Amino acid sequence: MKVLVIIPAYNEAENLPGLFKDLKQAEGDFDILVINDCSKDDTEKVCREHNIKVVSLPVNLGIGGAVQTGYLYALRHGYDIAIQVDGDGQHDPQFIKYLIQRLNEGYDLCIGSRFIENEGFQSSKARRIGIRYFSWLIKLLTGKRITDPTSGFRACNRKVIELFANDYPIDYPEPETVVTVLRNRLKVCEMPVIMRPRAGGVSSISSTNAIYYMIKVTLAIIISAISKKVVTDSE
Amino acid sequence: MNSPLKIYLIVASVLFFVFIVNMVRTKKLKLKYALTWLLTGLSFVIMAVFPETLFFLARILHIELPVNALFLCVIFLLLLIVFALTVAVSRQATRIKNLIQELGLLKEELKSGDK
Repeated sequence: MKVLVIIPAYNEAENLPGLFKDLKQAEGDFDILVINDCSKDDTEKVCREHNIKVVSLPVNLGIGGAVQTGYLYALRHGYDIAIQVDGDGQHDPQFIKYLIQRLNEGYDLCIGSRFIENEGFQSSKARRIGIRYFSWLIKLLTGKRITDPTSGFRACNRKVIELFANDYPIDYPEPETVVTVLRNRLKVCEMPVIMRPRAGGVSSISSTNAIYYMIKVTLAIIISAISKKVVTDSE
Repeated sequence: MNSPLKIYLIVASVLFFVFIVNMVRTKKLKLKYALTWLLTGLSFVIMAVFPETLFFLARILHIELPVNALFLCVIFLLLLIVFALTVAVSRQATRIKNLIQELGLLKEELKSGDK
């Protein structure tokens, strides 16, 4: 079974070495691919120094465009499982094996959630309210309770890789893609994980664009819920 | 309406039309996107030369003042053009994104092939 760890990175030269170290210590057999989203720092150099495969985009695409590049790579190189891990060190690679375990139990997408055991870094109060609102909206539209729809720590199988390689939103993709996967009658589960506060750098969601973020993601979730199915039922 | 205004309008609309044709001729404007503008320019010329068309238009639309009929039509047309442009921009954005991803993947393939 071929497993690929996709790491979208924008100006993460400081955080990547630590992440690579954790990945080496983590259990499991997987390849690592960094998508360097046209960073202005030494992200690419750091990857080469550590002998990690890196795809450097010539133009900054935003998190969604970078992650999708990873799924395209996974699709073309015949990977069975793709795991998304943020480049900022918030996601602890030791949980990767648990995510893979759940996929082997028959799930198509497994999300690492902060809010099942409520352990580790819980984000700010304002963000938790936002996350709970998205969780409620997704439950309303799909009937499925997802406690941490904004989590970018997730593993998926071949079916979902194909789906994402084909269609993935450019900005703030996480909640929207959960709905797309559910909408295509694929099975989604969550796995408790412990996240860390980001080691360095800044979040892509600042307080000034929070309102745009809420509106955009709300619309995206609704549209995603009423979109046409892409995956045809195999049975 | 045989005022100097009519002359100005005719001159302006003809110049506008000639300008657009010239842009298409020198390939600065793709014919595909210029079509709406050519039609717009042509209807400006027609309305400047024969203002009666506007009165007629106002009558069949049941609009009291011809000038309001003109505003209605122009706003409607502008909305159409802007919408068409938004569609074009969305399509371009997707195409450019696909190209960037492809380029990134290709560069990686080239580098790993060197080793």
